[in-house]
Amino acid sequence: MPSRSLVVVSGGLSQPSSTRMLADRLAEATVADLAARGIDTVVEVVELRGLAHDVVDMTLTGYARPDLAAAQSALAGADGVVAVTPVFAASYAGLFKSFVDVLDPEALRDTPVLLGATGGTARHSLALEHAVRPLFAYLHADVVPTSVFAATDDWADAGTDDVKPLPARIARAAAELARRVAAREPVQRGGLYDGVPSFEDLLGG
Amino acid sequence: MQFGIFSVGDVTTDPTTGRTPDDTERVRAMLTIAEHADAAGLDVFATGEHHNPPFVPSSPTTMLGYLAGRTRNIVLSTATTLITTNDPVRLAEEYAMLQVIADGRMDLMMGRGNTGPVYPWFGKDIRQGIGLAIENYALLRRLWEEDVVDWSGKFRTPLQGFTSTPRPLDGVAPFVWHGSIRSPEIAEQAAYYGDGFLHNAIFWPMEHTAQMVNFYRQRYEHHGHGRADQAIVGLGGQVFMRKNSQDAWHEFRPYFDNAPVYGHGPSMEDFTRETPLTVGSPQQVIDRYGAFWEQVGHYQRQLFLIDHAGLPLKTVLEQIDMLAEDVVPVLRREAESRRPADVPANPPSHAERVAAARAAGKAPATGRAPEGDRWTGRTAEDDTALTA
Repeated sequence: MPSRSLVVVSGGLSQPSSTRMLADRLAEATVADLAARGIDTVVEVVELRGLAHDVVDMTLTGYARPDLAAAQSALAGADGVVAVTPVFAASYAGLFKSFVDVLDPEALRDTPVLLGATGGTARHSLALEHAVRPLFAYLHADVVPTSVFAATDDWADAGTDDVKPLPARIARAAAELARRVAAREPVQRGGLYDGVPSFEDLLGG
Repeated sequence: MQFGIFSVGDVTTDPTTGRTPDDTERVRAMLTIAEHADAAGLDVFATGEHHNPPFVPSSPTTMLGYLAGRTRNIVLSTATTLITTNDPVRLAEEYAMLQVIADGRMDLMMGRGNTGPVYPWFGKDIRQGIGLAIENYALLRRLWEEDVVDWSGKFRTPLQGFTSTPRPLDGVAPFVWHGSIRSPEIAEQAAYYGDGFLHNAIFWPMEHTAQMVNFYRQRYEHHGHGRADQAIVGLGGQVFMRKNSQDAWHEFRPYFDNAPVYGHGPSMEDFTRETPLTVGSPQQVIDRYGAFWEQVGHYQRQLFLIDHAGLPLKTVLEQIDMLAEDVVPVLRREAESRRPADVPANPPSHAERVAAARAAGKAPATGRAPEGDRWTGRTAEDDTALTA
């Protein structure tokens, strides 16, 4: 069974965190969908709460401490990414943005990404579309059309949401991500400097 | 193996006294530090090149030219010379002049610089950083190696029949290092020319440094300059020492906590664990730096940053004495005892480069006048002949 890597980024700051809960739901649904396509998935979770100091340190020093470096390299080698942030002040959480700020701008190029967010009320839901999606467009990630916002009420909803209940939204978004991951060749994790042009090419360029 | 110090020439407030030196005091402190390092028996003094406050060393060859006259043995170098924003014609002239004045007791290290705004100050575009580093250096080498150069490229006006003066000492260009932390293209450049590669490891875990150095070594062999383990490698480092390790931690902490480069970030405990910064006794420095060869192989030059973050001059001079008396002799002996016989002990000296060039028939046996360019000629009579 071919294997793919799914990296889950959770920007939740409390423990337990509804952001992590949504991230886990999205990941589970994606893994299940991929399994139905005959694809085995390895999931790695990156909790930004535990990396908060490393992220700030890197903004000051320019180098990634070991745990942050491991998270960055997991993302760079991911076949698919689930990224979930709490909505603060009508946008992504500051820590979530700072984590993206210290990411290699090329790390997520062409990578299929599913976006999620959590917030107090459904009135924050468009923060995903006006703030988080443009951020990932900047990274040239391949963001799936459906992003999932979960308000407090969604967790108590018994499936009676007039538009579409949370489990149905999760299933649709996960299917979109799984389809993209399955359609691509697995990311080749070659040597660090495999892509460096030879000096003859550099001189000629 | 060579051991020396390198300075970025920062003007930083001493956090323990609140006192800030002015530019004049800082420049003179750098000169004192270099002369002291020479007298103490260190092998290398290297100055950075910066064009923005709070850094003072904008003019490395002026500083190194003075030091060439004031010192006896120490190798004078740069860390780094900006190959991107300096005109390669000026670099060829200035460093050949320094080479003559220093009687060959110099080398230099190329770098791209990490301060974006500097590029436009010198009429350059930072987006062309790698391209500038490649083209400018290729031209610089031709200006040193060929008496008369016809040249055209992307980044500066063409040259027709141009001769850079003075010609390099004994017809052999200075030895060049390339410094890079993150750009494998620069390691590739160093390997392509068979030049030295210096990884300034001071903000990086050794695993990262080892990856870059080993990439350079493989490419050095690929380009036919020798075996990978014979390539010329240097590392940056930083230390703060007192006889008693706890005294070192206590004294250095306020400087660490407020340093412009890492202050208010990781704790000194974390930073010293994860990077080569070593705060402690001379023996602890010996233990740490004496083990780096296990990850990068035998290397030829170790530079230490010791005069930054507002440390007072007196303290810096004490650090030099401790390095020279307690640390370097041990590290040098250890390095020599494990070095394979056919791996160079040191970077090539001027005398060695001259001998090699002569053996290869690439340098004149004795001094000679260069072939002049045909516009100015060598003598007034040439001019007359030209206009006649």
